[in-house]
Amino acid sequence: MKMSDKVVNNQPNSENKITKKELKRIFFRWFLAGQVGWNYERMQGLCYCYSIMPVLRKLYKKEEELKKAVKRHLQFFNTEPDMAHFILGANAAIEEREGTDGEEASTAIKTGLMGPFAGVGDTIFGVIIPTVILSIGANMALNGSSVGVWIWLIWAFVRFWLRWKFTEIGYVQGTKLIATMSDRIQSLTEAASILGLTVIGALIPTVVTPKVPFVFQSGEVTLEVQQVLDQIMPALIPVILVAFVYWLLGKEKMTSTKAIWILLMASIILGGLGVLGT
Amino acid sequence: MEITAWQIIILSIYAFVAIYDSLETNIGLNRPIQAGFFTGLILGDVTLGLAVGATLQLMVLGVGTYGGASIPDYMSGAVIGTAFGIMSGLGVEFAIGIAVPIGLFLVQLDILARFTNTFFQHRADKYAEDGNFDGVERMNLLGIIPWGLSRAIPVAIALIFGPEIVDALVNITPQWLLNGLSVAGKVLPALGIAILLRYLPAKRYLPYLLIGFALAAFLQVSMIGVAIVGLALGLLVYQRSREQLSIAGKGGVDEDE
Repeated sequence: MKMSDKVVNNQPNSENKITKKELKRIFFRWFLAGQVGWNYERMQGLCYCYSIMPVLRKLYKKEEELKKAVKRHLQFFNTEPDMAHFILGANAAIEEREGTDGEEASTAIKTGLMGPFAGVGDTIFGVIIPTVILSIGANMALNGSSVGVWIWLIWAFVRFWLRWKFTEIGYVQGTKLIATMSDRIQSLTEAASILGLTVIGALIPTVVTPKVPFVFQSGEVTLEVQQVLDQIMPALIPVILVAFVYWLLGKEKMTSTKAIWILLMASIILGGLGVLGT
Repeated sequence: MEITAWQIIILSIYAFVAIYDSLETNIGLNRPIQAGFFTGLILGDVTLGLAVGATLQLMVLGVGTYGGASIPDYMSGAVIGTAFGIMSGLGVEFAIGIAVPIGLFLVQLDILARFTNTFFQHRADKYAEDGNFDGVERMNLLGIIPWGLSRAIPVAIALIFGPEIVDALVNITPQWLLNGLSVAGKVLPALGIAILLRYLPAKRYLPYLLIGFALAAFLQVSMIGVAIVGLALGLLVYQRSREQLSIAGKGGVDEDE
């Protein structure tokens, strides 16, 4: 931001200065209603407009200006909801500094950041963290303990705090956000993937647990197939199963829904025949 | 057991709140594991609810609504499945056998809700044109209704008409099918794991997958223990990559404006 621009613009006075109060309102609006208006046409567009409205109302006192700004923010928007707080914060800063001249910058930061942020957010908030927490939780639940249910609740509070911090950081950094975030994000995603994969590795023998109840009998000699398999390697069947489904998902036109049906049918047939058991 | 009217009402409200929670507050109500737990709590069999919820949960670990994609509704599936499992007395296998197809079927209502909200978007456009900014804000909030009803209505219908359906199902379900379904309960988590492996850079980080597997399969380390090892490995890699970046940064061009 260069000083000269500031002079040309409506001089920033207390009238159109964004305070912590407005930031909090953006934060709560997105936190509580950032996806309720989700629709196929413009996805989170309506929700974004709703969330940034307190800032727009504060900055644009003339109805024509406000109308223009509202229409601008009703356009298409879609990203990962946690990461969206960065964009809302940065966008508030731009609207505050540039005002009606900031149309392009404001649209640019929204459309420029929503893609990459969605990618990182989905990996970290959508996949890795739920995987780790819910793996622990589901494992406990299968043993009859509800402790895992409460671990998620603790995470929910941490996430609440994080989302507020994201809003603040976004506001303070403004347009610099892109540069400061990009390299750190790469390292973070990498580290998170490693944590995720380690846990997934442990999940395979723990939660995929069909057994082979088949017993060979010839005269006096009986041979329990499961025992033989265990001697080769514990959890051999789970590994084969996961590898098979992984391969299946890589096939063209295969979807996870189709894969569910295939597995369901195969389990019923193999279970019915007594090849697989529990 | 018989299900009572207040139980049906509570579970329907739960479904309404759960989908809102998954969109916004994220305390986890929309996760199958929580939904199973809650249903079990209301209907008096927490262990069964947890088992149903956990199995469904493991199936969909890596499945998310990325970019607005609709995914099977295993929250409603867990509620309905757990309820049927308890009502019929046939237990976990039966419950999962019901929950999976229901969850797959209900994805249609998710699509319907997302579609219905387009209407509110267009109303908001019109209000913006008229300078009715309160109207714009109201349209976003109204979006809660299609979302909530897309979950609450099927749960209510299934539970109201459930007892007769359950009786009919119990009579026609043969033992071999129940055996097969219990095998499915043990096999289906493989899908959740495979989806995750497809999503994450599994080939590049194969060693970490092997470490996790060996810890659990050979050393019987608990899930939390493995998560701690995974965290340590992740932190090491994070630190190293930060160091490398800062070394590269020193030699590079001054990046400040």
